[in-house]
Amino acid sequence: MHMADALISPAVGSALYAVSAAAVAYSTAKIKKDALCEKKVPIMGVAGAFVFAGQMINFTIPATGSSGHIGGGILLAGLIGGPAALLVISAVLIIQCLFFADGGLLALGCNIFNMGVIPCLFIYPLLFKRITGKGLNYKSITAASIISVVAGLQIGAFGVVLETLASGVTELPFEAFIALMQPIHFAIGIAEGIVTAAALCFVQNARPEILESTSNSTRIGSSVPIKKILGVMVIVTVFTGGVLALFASSNPDGLEWSMERAAGTAELEAEGTAFNTAAAIQETTAFMPDYSFANAGEDPPLIGTTVAGIVGGVLTLVLAGGTGFIISRIKSGKGRTA
Amino acid sequence: MPNIQNSVQNIYTLENLAAGGTVIHRLHPAAKMLSALFFIVTVVSFDRYAVLSLTPFVFYPAVLMALSETPHLMMFKRFFAALPFCLFAGIANVIFERSAAFSLGGLTVSFGTISLITLLFRTYLCVMAVLILIATTPVMEITGQLRRVRVPAIFVTLFEMTYRYTGVLLEEAAFMHTAYSLRGRSQKGIEMRHMGSFVGQLIIRSFDRAERVYAAMKCRGYALREFHARERKFTARDMVFAAMVFSFCVFFRMVSIDAVINALARF
Repeated sequence: MHMADALISPAVGSALYAVSAAAVAYSTAKIKKDALCEKKVPIMGVAGAFVFAGQMINFTIPATGSSGHIGGGILLAGLIGGPAALLVISAVLIIQCLFFADGGLLALGCNIFNMGVIPCLFIYPLLFKRITGKGLNYKSITAASIISVVAGLQIGAFGVVLETLASGVTELPFEAFIALMQPIHFAIGIAEGIVTAAALCFVQNARPEILESTSNSTRIGSSVPIKKILGVMVIVTVFTGGVLALFASSNPDGLEWSMERAAGTAELEAEGTAFNTAAAIQETTAFMPDYSFANAGEDPPLIGTTVAGIVGGVLTLVLAGGTGFIISRIKSGKGRTA
Repeated sequence: MPNIQNSVQNIYTLENLAAGGTVIHRLHPAAKMLSALFFIVTVVSFDRYAVLSLTPFVFYPAVLMALSETPHLMMFKRFFAALPFCLFAGIANVIFERSAAFSLGGLTVSFGTISLITLLFRTYLCVMAVLILIATTPVMEITGQLRRVRVPAIFVTLFEMTYRYTGVLLEEAAFMHTAYSLRGRSQKGIEMRHMGSFVGQLIIRSFDRAERVYAAMKCRGYALREFHARERKFTARDMVFAAMVFSFCVFFRMVSIDAVINALARF
């Protein structure tokens, strides 16, 4: 479910960054109020490393021939509480993004929201805690785990669909996208929910104090009204999304908008005959007018220009690779003489 | 378990690379972080058929990898991790966008195909930008920069600890996995019915280790506080690097490279 940078637009990426940053700031403030904050941080750090290790272990799903791994959001929230779990999941996602190219840097906000904010700040207090509220026993832990993991994955997958479609990188129709994503994540959710339940029951059996301390320490309902969190998030999303969409509609992209703010114009105006000639040539010969190919339905462009475009593109790549190669050779030559 | 060992290896290799002393390694972390982010934002701001306009952006990874002596093949392998979802979205475009963009020697290329190639190319550029950043900047420099911009100490410390203990717990999980495999029948993964106690066992081991880590840290005078990382001067060299990357991105975002190519082809 990790989204890559190439799948999102700058507007969607920044809006979700703002929302996730707000959620992380809220969770940090919440943890700070905890008297055991200082002790909690090393525990959270090791718990993050645990999630990472846990995600690497595949288990075989009976009768399907496929395998799965734990996601960790609900499992972690059950162990250390929602806000702490969000911080841990965020740290894990940053490491996955930086070291394993799993999820992008610009898409980090989206990934933290889909895999962290949804299960830890919404599903955990609203579903998991409500179900286990009457008493921690195998039955309530199992029901809470399965329902929460399935719900978290369904909403998270729906988030992926909305964010991808809003970014406009795919032609996949909304219905087809949903029909592909939701059932797959439902099946994954059931398997992951069962494993989460079994793991939590194991911990409850071996070290009941771990789950009980979490269950008693963070009474979200009484100390922090969930409506408030929801309200702040809606405002942040609408504001960021709205502001960015406003600029996106009047200007093609944020970069040109910032250019306009910096230079007073959206397009860099170059004067002189050489530029005018180049502009005229561009208008008549552009292979991809205004950064796109000729409109669908129109006659395909001349083969000559197409070939020139492709050859030119390949040449640019070769030139870039060649520059890198020459720099490496010069550097290794220097290393030998030194 | 090769998966776990690979992950441990991945982390340590990048850490070794980041310890280098090339001109790129010596740059201020803020210059590298901002440049990488600006590069990614510029690359994703192109529309989905702009494969040609994106080609000059290859200069960024090519030049930086050469200057920082980063092995390309090793980095390229990691690009595959980002692929599955992008391929899914890209192949969907091939199916749903069948109108012809151009034909070449009797072969018609559809808009969907062009958008698939653009998406893969874009993924490659973004992944490389992030990996180059991490292969040339030690994690402690990145977290130091985060502290300087006043990211809360809780979060930064948590990140550092997660990073530091990932290798340790991955090894712990690998030991447990080996023990399981040796006792059980030969099989690929762990059976689902055993997974609960396996993960539960790993949780308990992690929490025990966390207790010992905390006790050890306390013995050495640990206290969670907002301390400021050592100031590091943003020199003229850092400024020049950031300015070059920014102007490179803005220039190739504004100037249509295909128009230049076509103009050259006409002469």
